[in-house]
Amino acid sequence: MNAYPQILFKNRRPGETVLLAEYEKSGGYQGLRAALQMTPREVCELVKGSGLRGRGGAGFPTGIKWSFFPAEQPGDKYLVCNGDEMEPGTYKDRQLLLADPHQLVEGMAIAAYALQTGIGYIFLRYAYEDCSQRVERAIEEALAAGYLGKNILGSGFDVELHVHRSAGRYILGEETSLLNGLEGRRPNPRSKPPFPAQRGLFGRPTNVNNVETLATVPHILTNGQLWFHELALNPESAGTKLFGLSGHLNRTECFELPLGITLREVVEDFGGGVRGGKKFKACLPGGASTPYLTAEHMDLMMDFAPLEEVKSRLGTAGVTVFDENTCMLAVTRNLNQFFARESCGWCTPCRDGLATISWLLDRLEFGQGTEADLAMLKDQVRNIKGRSFCALAEGAMGPVEALLRLFEDEIIDHIKRGGCPFSKRSG
Amino acid sequence: MTELLPQEQIDSFKARAAAIAHPHELIVDLLRAIQAHYGWVPDDGVLLTAATLGVLPIEVEEVATFYDKIFRRTVGRRVIHVCDSICCWSIGAEMILAHLQQSLGIGLGETTADGAFTLLPTCCLGACGDAPAMMIGLTTHGRLTPEKIDETLQRERAAIAAEVAK
Amino acid sequence: MPKLTIDNLEVTVPEGTNVLEAACALDIAIPHFCYHEALGAVGSCRLCAMMFTDGPVKGLQMACMVKAQDGMVVSSTHPDAMELREHVIEWAMTNHPHDCPVCDEGGECQLQEMTVAGGHSKRRFRGKKATFTNQDLGPFIQQEMNRCITCYRCVRTYRDYCGGTDYGVLGSRNRIFYGRFQEGKLESPFSGNIIDACPTGVLTSKPFRFKTRLWDLQEAPSICPHCSLGCAIVPGGRYREVQRVRAGINRETNGFFICDRGRFGYDHVNHPERPRQPRIGGQPVALETALDAVRDRIAVLVEAHGPNSIAFLGSSRASLEANALLRDWASAYGSEQLAYEAHQGRDYAARTLAARVGGHACSLGDLRQSDLIILFGADPLAEGPMLAVAIRQAVRGGAKVVTIDPRPVELPCTTLHIPLPASRLPELLAALGSGDLSAFDAQERATFAPLLDQIKAARRPAMVGGADLLGGQGIAALCSAAADLSTASRAVGVMALLGGPNSYGGALLAGDGPGFDTLLDAIQERTVRALVCLESDPFCEALDPARAQAALGHLELLVCIDSTPSLAAQRADIFLPSRANAEMSGSYINNEGRLQEFLPVIDPGLPIKVTGAGDHPPREFFQTTPGSAPAADWWLLAKLLERATILAELRKTMAKYDERFSMLSFLAAGTTGLRLPVKVALPPVADRGLPHADGSDNQTLLATTGPLGSHWLAHLSAPLAATEPQPYVCLHPDFAAALGLASGDRARLTTRFGHCHVEVRLSAQMVSGLVLAPQLWDTALEGLAPGSLHDCRLEKEARA
Repeated sequence: MNAYPQILFKNRRPGETVLLAEYEKSGGYQGLRAALQMTPREVCELVKGSGLRGRGGAGFPTGIKWSFFPAEQPGDKYLVCNGDEMEPGTYKDRQLLLADPHQLVEGMAIAAYALQTGIGYIFLRYAYEDCSQRVERAIEEALAAGYLGKNILGSGFDVELHVHRSAGRYILGEETSLLNGLEGRRPNPRSKPPFPAQRGLFGRPTNVNNVETLATVPHILTNGQLWFHELALNPESAGTKLFGLSGHLNRTECFELPLGITLREVVEDFGGGVRGGKKFKACLPGGASTPYLTAEHMDLMMDFAPLEEVKSRLGTAGVTVFDENTCMLAVTRNLNQFFARESCGWCTPCRDGLATISWLLDRLEFGQGTEADLAMLKDQVRNIKGRSFCALAEGAMGPVEALLRLFEDEIIDHIKRGGCPFSKRSG
Repeated sequence: MTELLPQEQIDSFKARAAAIAHPHELIVDLLRAIQAHYGWVPDDGVLLTAATLGVLPIEVEEVATFYDKIFRRTVGRRVIHVCDSICCWSIGAEMILAHLQQSLGIGLGETTADGAFTLLPTCCLGACGDAPAMMIGLTTHGRLTPEKIDETLQRERAAIAAEVAK
Repeated sequence: MPKLTIDNLEVTVPEGTNVLEAACALDIAIPHFCYHEALGAVGSCRLCAMMFTDGPVKGLQMACMVKAQDGMVVSSTHPDAMELREHVIEWAMTNHPHDCPVCDEGGECQLQEMTVAGGHSKRRFRGKKATFTNQDLGPFIQQEMNRCITCYRCVRTYRDYCGGTDYGVLGSRNRIFYGRFQEGKLESPFSGNIIDACPTGVLTSKPFRFKTRLWDLQEAPSICPHCSLGCAIVPGGRYREVQRVRAGINRETNGFFICDRGRFGYDHVNHPERPRQPRIGGQPVALETALDAVRDRIAVLVEAHGPNSIAFLGSSRASLEANALLRDWASAYGSEQLAYEAHQGRDYAARTLAARVGGHACSLGDLRQSDLIILFGADPLAEGPMLAVAIRQAVRGGAKVVTIDPRPVELPCTTLHIPLPASRLPELLAALGSGDLSAFDAQERATFAPLLDQIKAARRPAMVGGADLLGGQGIAALCSAAADLSTASRAVGVMALLGGPNSYGGALLAGDGPGFDTLLDAIQERTVRALVCLESDPFCEALDPARAQAALGHLELLVCIDSTPSLAAQRADIFLPSRANAEMSGSYINNEGRLQEFLPVIDPGLPIKVTGAGDHPPREFFQTTPGSAPAADWWLLAKLLERATILAELRKTMAKYDERFSMLSFLAAGTTGLRLPVKVALPPVADRGLPHADGSDNQTLLATTGPLGSHWLAHLSAPLAATEPQPYVCLHPDFAAALGLASGDRARLTTRFGHCHVEVRLSAQMVSGLVLAPQLWDTALEGLAPGSLHDCRLEKEARA
């Protein structure tokens, strides 16, 4: 295994959480100090120039998002951290918050300053009570040390942070649903425009960033754009990324790896290869909504643009690997069940279309499927993709479309045999 | 567990609601508080939330019924959420679920006769590296095996017995 | 104004129009569920897909979510758009049961239409359908959730538009349930709108259930007879009964919705005690006999005592044409004893409004655009419910609302309420108009001074008054204040809630003629010996019914034309049955001076459920339809005047001799109606103010209009009668405490009309020192004409 620079995980020790003293000793809150010496606009420019792209799945350039924000507008403005990490295969934010939560607190203080948002919410999913408690402790420590609260570090700038504990549902990871959730309304997504930067939480300008994105910001402030660029193996890209490995690998852990690392290195070196000496069949490169990669993609760089070139996405970089005995139809069926169940019920293609796909995949997987069902599956995908209100159903179509593109022969095999060819062999 | 929420907590929520411009933002917090104290959220819990925050009962119910981790029906002393999403599924979640069902003698959505456990499926718990996983209450248990499940259930049973004795 | 091309047709639309609306402007029908003109676009159904082939937006888009822009080229027939629409319908139909043959929506089911229009004809999904347990939503709405396609329209209508607070969206994904937190009656007075809003058979009318297949229902555009707002309605009838009412569309008045009083208040037409036979001295006679008797007996009296021995009382619920003929009839004899409303406050209010504001009164459409609305002695939910919904829309657009009233005034939006006795409202209006608040004490000035500033700062302010509490003087003060506060750049709008659907028409005809009180004096003095009542009941409607009853006892001849079992109808010497508005053509002028036509839905006749005694078909056969004698009010008067009984002819004559009615010949039903150019003289100064309590040691009672079910026509409608409240009084908590009363107490209320057991309700919005009681028919409170003050005694009763 190559020893890559550890930034977000540099203080990580199994079963322990870094407290303020240790965080400070490792250079913590230097980024905030540096930011407060700059103008808010300069901080935005610095982040923009760093090439940091959102780590929550969509990969939108963070600095550009910040530059759209009306920081000068008077009145309430909000900063929201999206910690509703619920896409199957994704557990990196939890690892980050359990290990070293002050990075998020510092990142939010910097972002709050850059965007001139006095109030920040950290939205954490129900299952992450462990994280909530650690983040709250970090906030308390930071308050006591003057990194949060009134007049932080004597800058005259005030920041308050609140933790919001959610109560389940994947849709809240969609930023406008999350805002509705924070407001105590039904968390349906909102139509865009207006974007949250114009009208977000409580109708006020709001910036929403992922946990890992915000936690990366202090390091950019401390070490500079060039340093951040050079962390990536891909010269077109910048920074490290937390990769959460899962599925049929020998080592299913979360690693901080440079962007641009090959899938092969991730699977074979860091993942320790496929369990039981079996062959690699496919993987989800970045969570349940990202189209499958197969063995032919092993030497591909794990990064935003290279994966888009092969019709997939880096997503959250939660890599779930499937071995040669896995039925990809069954995998897709499981994934689609997840999306159908997590649909908020707002728009028809997602609410009823995903349920229709679930029904079709059930039939095909269990051997009742026909050629007509396969044809119907195709027309369903064609009419759901790009047609739904928000990105949930769009994401759901990722694996289904990849199944049809890469594994149609397996579906036909199911139809011909009247059952699953893998049912005996699967572990 | 006869009262929905201790009076001092109700008062504290009332004070917070009065101090903020948008009391609706406390709906989920208050529902979770009632659930933490009472085990689940009965109709009276919805009404209490509405009255405490000065919002409409329907507004509370709209939110309460949206989230899958707010229980609007009675549940056992421990709710076991078994992950059935892709990572856990790929390494044996179905077997884990079968073992739990057999050990507890109940199906999904059911509560054991002694009122100790309720078994529910859940989507990804964010423990994909430690699959297969389940969550009991707010604690995640990963890398499950039948033996580990038996141990965990035994520990929980003992804890419940201690609670009941109190 | 963007210009775009849709299906090769160019269209220019106002800024802000969405592409779906632009397509509608070209009569291109794009299937849609969630978009609704009044509710707006939310993009949830995904049905209105269109392909944007060129211009600033490209690709397949939901037409409702895209604002029209210059240079857009859009296709509604692109294969991708058609394919998506077909799929959306397929998905919407996955859980929908195939129970169309037994579904009450069948025949007007938008889902059926969209299914056909969308091109979905074959069900491929054969999985399990979602099923639900229905809720009992009360007497008006039947719920059948299994049919739901989750379009969110009901909740957007009920909660967002109408301001209801007890209906919502529960659950998620494909398990969405629309309903209440707990089973029970929907509390909003606009609940019935969800029946119209639902595109399929989830929410249907409970009273109309299983009565008629919709293709058998006779419908026609009409105007609601329940208040002065003139909302568009479409009644439906079959088997000789009116069976339901749905909302009509008039963007200037009600928009797309109506209140539950209008929707469920149709049943007076079918009332079992409705008098359907001409009668003389209580004995049924042929119509010609009765008509002859009227002519003869009036002729005898005129001969003996002169033309002014005959008095005529028109009404606010009779058609404009009949009321005009009544005037012609009076002038034919030379009688000056003609009035149009037995309730003097309402009469003078309407006439003052017509004279002072004319055709410039605010419409509901104007009001929805206001940024400041101040209500002076107006209680919309009781006196003109759709005004409350219009105000809510203004508030949703950012308007502020102030209610100044001795009563609590509930509105489905945030308001500022200022309690003030009714007698002080004209004083306040004068002060606001002049800007001189010195007549008020320091505390009051602190309240009213900012109000004055708000009015001056507002860009589209409106002032609304209620006829019941303001009367003629108050409405005059309202008009003056509005005129004084208007500037060259913006006018202060005026609206008044009047007594009935044609109060304004009566006011135009009455002009500066006498009030009914003057007629009563003449009857009391026996100079008037005969009274003709056209769809009015002076026994109950007069401000002082006791005085009216005493005076009317002296009459030698009482002629009554009516379609309801009123007291006047019962006591009439000669009775002529008239038609309800759902049974005839005619016109009303609403409270803003808008002339609107209504058309007949059914012919009168005893409902088949009566003649058939539950059996069908009826086993008895007659030459004529039983109970079909009632004739249109204008027809009866034309007969009495020996004129042609042809409506068009009558209108032509009206238009010819009264230029104010010159537009009558252009009238068309189902349109926005016509604003009349109005010239009318101010009424004489009221000879008597509103009756006041005599100030004895007892309490003072202010009578008011009750909620939905307590109006006369509503009271006669079975679906609404079930929701009428038990007698109650409302008090300020401090006043109640002084009387030793608490909320929910039972009390004995004594007025000169007798005793009544009432429930005590408290409201901090009340003026203190006042007992508020609603007029409720068939109780000891029925004599309490709204707006009148009475002495009363309120004593606590021991709980049973």
